[in-house]
Amino acid sequence: MISNFLDSGFYYIVQGMVLGLLIFLIYKRLWKRLPSVTGYLFALLLIDGVGRRYVFYHYGVASHEYAYFYWLTDAALALGAFLLICTFFQRACAKDTKLWPFLRLFLVFVFFLVVGISALALSQNYANLFTRFIYEFNQNLYFTCLVLNTLLYVMMQQIETADDELNLLVCGLGLQFAGPAANFALMFLTPDHTPAYEYAKLLFGFVGPLCTLGMLLTWFYAVSRLPKTVRVPASKQLVPAMAAGRIEV
Amino acid sequence: MILASLILIVSTGLFLFYLQATCQGILRKQFEQEYFQSIVNANRLEFPSVRRALEDYDGPVDYSRFRMTLKCDFLALTYLLKNAANTNHRYTREERLLILYFQAIYLFMVTRHALRLQEKNAIMNLTAILQYFANVVGQRVNMVRFGNLAPSDYLLNL
Repeated sequence: MISNFLDSGFYYIVQGMVLGLLIFLIYKRLWKRLPSVTGYLFALLLIDGVGRRYVFYHYGVASHEYAYFYWLTDAALALGAFLLICTFFQRACAKDTKLWPFLRLFLVFVFFLVVGISALALSQNYANLFTRFIYEFNQNLYFTCLVLNTLLYVMMQQIETADDELNLLVCGLGLQFAGPAANFALMFLTPDHTPAYEYAKLLFGFVGPLCTLGMLLTWFYAVSRLPKTVRVPASKQLVPAMAAGRIEV
Repeated sequence: MILASLILIVSTGLFLFYLQATCQGILRKQFEQEYFQSIVNANRLEFPSVRRALEDYDGPVDYSRFRMTLKCDFLALTYLLKNAANTNHRYTREERLLILYFQAIYLFMVTRHALRLQEKNAIMNLTAILQYFANVVGQRVNMVRFGNLAPSDYLLNL
């Protein structure tokens, strides 16, 4: 009873936060500067807030339809987050034009590798999806994203990027991957029908929403509180008359 | 089984790492000026002298004195954060996170001391958090005018 109440509470807080952040990004016109973050939040709202709720009310929480929809969209969201990390890589390499072409090739290769392996594993185990396989699958998928995110973080420290906003966006995404990856691993490790398994299952209901909430709060802080460096375009109107004469456009 | 155990350990470690990195990201916030100086002077806070002592001298740390000093400064600054020029009388989310971060590092420092390990880095981190708190309080006090009171007079009347 209390667990259900907390579940619903977390759900509405997370969805409210996603919606609030989306409205903030659109209202402040930040979506033009952060299209990938806006897109990911929009997908999160559409899948978690609308799609899953629809299937939940239409088929019921214990139905196979809901379980399939939940786990397959979870994999889709993780792959979406993978693409988001790729756009963060591009932003981190904005000043290093030599590094980006090599990284782009690497990221495209890893992305197709992850999609291929995921599709193969899901199709082979589609009939017995709701066994320990789904925990193992998600544990590996989330951990892959976590490793990629950590590589990005390390790279940013190496090239000493001054982009504090990107730094916090990456940290938020790291929280979103690390918690669930650990939790899936814990569920995979605990034997069935034991008190430890029940505790791990109970924990699973809170770790996911709490980590998503942590990510959203970090992102909200990053886009709303950090001072932005303003880039002034070198247009003729903005340049004093004498200097304007020397600009070749 | 081995892979899952490895993922569990590494992911938990990275979760804590990202939490710490988020706190450090908040602490990196640049203020327009060094607001903390007036707050330190008005309240006779001692964390800048602790930091200077650690930076200037490479000798052994006076652990018990530093520990007491940092704890007192923390209590004073958290009170000011809540009550000085704060109409809501509530901490913001990032302040709550940093308060938790301070307490975690404080515990870490105590543990390191008990294990006879170096606690210098932990103390430096604690002073950085206190400086951030003092900057926030200073900025708030600076933004609000209280009749003819200067920021330091206002703080003395709290």
